Amino acid sequence: MTRWNDGTDATASVSPDITDETNALPAKYFTDPAVHEMEKEKVFSRYWVYAGHANAIEEPGEYFTRTIGDRNVIVLRDKDREVRAFYNVCAHRGSKMVDDTPMTDPGSANGIRCPYHLWTYDLDGTLRSTPRSFETAGMNPDLEDEDVPKLDREDNGLMEIHLDSIGPLLFVNFDADPMPLEEQAGTLKEELESFPLEEYELARRYVSEVECNWKTFSGNYSECDHCQANHQDWIKGISLAESELVVDDHYWVLHYTHDEGVEAAESLIEGEARFYYFWPNFTLNMYGNADGYGTYIIDPIDEGRFQLIADYYFKDSELSEEEQEFVKLSRKLQEEDFELVERQYQGMKSGALAQGQLGPNEHTVHRLHRLAQEAYEA
Amino acid sequence: MSQRERRSFVVCEACDVSKEVDDPNEAVAFYRRHRSITGHDVAWGWADFDGLESSSEDDLASVIAGLEDRFEDGVPLGIVSAAMADAGRTIGETLEAIRSLRMDGELYEPRDDHIRVT
Ligand code: FES
Ligand SMILES: [Fe+2]
Repeated sequence: MTRWNDGTDATASVSPDITDETNALPAKYFTDPAVHEMEKEKVFSRYWVYAGHANAIEEPGEYFTRTIGDRNVIVLRDKDREVRAFYNVCAHRGSKMVDDTPMTDPGSANGIRCPYHLWTYDLDGTLRSTPRSFETAGMNPDLEDEDVPKLDREDNGLMEIHLDSIGPLLFVNFDADPMPLEEQAGTLKEELESFPLEEYELARRYVSEVECNWKTFSGNYSECDHCQANHQDWIKGISLAESELVVDDHYWVLHYTHDEGVEAAESLIEGEARFYYFWPNFTLNMYGNADGYGTYIIDPIDEGRFQLIADYYFKDSELSEEEQEFVKLSRKLQEEDFELVERQYQGMKSGALAQGQLGPNEHTVHRLHRLAQEAYEA
Repeated sequence: MSQRERRSFVVCEACDVSKEVDDPNEAVAFYRRHRSITGHDVAWGWADFDGLESSSEDDLASVIAGLEDRFEDGVPLGIVSAAMADAGRTIGETLEAIRSLRMDGELYEPRDDHIRVT
């Protein structure tokens, strides 16, 4: 049920089963700065979080960085062509080493050198070399050169982060002993790996900042009850009646049929759009009317703002005219959604609502709210 | 719509996005976040803030010196970048130029993201 902030201060848990009661996640979990801090640990450090696409770093030595919460990581391909992730933090005195390097413009290096005192690491994270000042004791009268301990290459290497993938999609997990990615992904892994995702090229990245909590946008992405009223250009080509919704533990997918889809021979899927949401903040968008796919990263900036990083993959990174049109329509759709979620968030921020309620068909939103609650309580 | 147009905003042409800003340094924060995930530069679309005056100067140090009286605790980087927009500079270009002046000791930072001439 709906609960107003009317002085009673009462909220309840997200209902276990949406068919009997329909409590949403209490509003304070969307608006409280302390919740944002808590999520850095309880959500973004415990689950597998999307880091980027393997196609961006095909050659040994290529790398990009990605910031998740307060953590900056280097994702690179090593000499054995394995992809690895390291904290972008020097083992000497903790300096950030590599400048921010987006996967749209990856760097290339045969090692990682910290600019502060020039400790240098191999691509597998082991310490390769230190300057002479770390090998001799010229400045320290109490120590002889030959007594300076040699630094063990492995013990003084970079801190590695768990990395795993679904096809070319790379995920990292900061937990010391994370659940396997297979466990979090469930059937999503096999399903996505049946598509040739790696054969498509990154063609566009659009980044927008939106004035709402990241979960507000995630909820909007997860349902299409608002589409009829708000995405009139898009809805024309879609048979909503034939849509289907599948909800698994940590992901859900909305299927839509297109009036005019592309043929399967050249496309990932024929005439059907699929929108996958993978907890906590990644989506994969397959377009039944264009031969390509997109991804969204829904990155919180603070409790009241997030960044939408929208990447588009097509057969060729040079887009045809239709593809450019398609991406433009997709951008327009995003803008329409931004308006909706910003308005919703203004309402939530007013403090009037203590806890909203979900509709009987909003399973996916319900799943999102349950997952958030589970994470907070863990 | 006209209401909207009068508010200050920055744009990334490559992404075709614009972002309204109330506080000039919010533009700098946006630029930093945006650049870290795209590599793109960001420019002012329209800037209108107290104390900002369009100047015909395009020499950074004199622009900062000209603004200094109006900002006791240092000129916000966002104001400097907005002033330099008249000379066609993007936010990235202005910040880069400020950095190099600082490294030469010509500027100092009385508080974060605010500068004064030495
Ligand atoms: S902190 Fe990296 S070499 Fe000193
Ligand atoms: Fe929408």
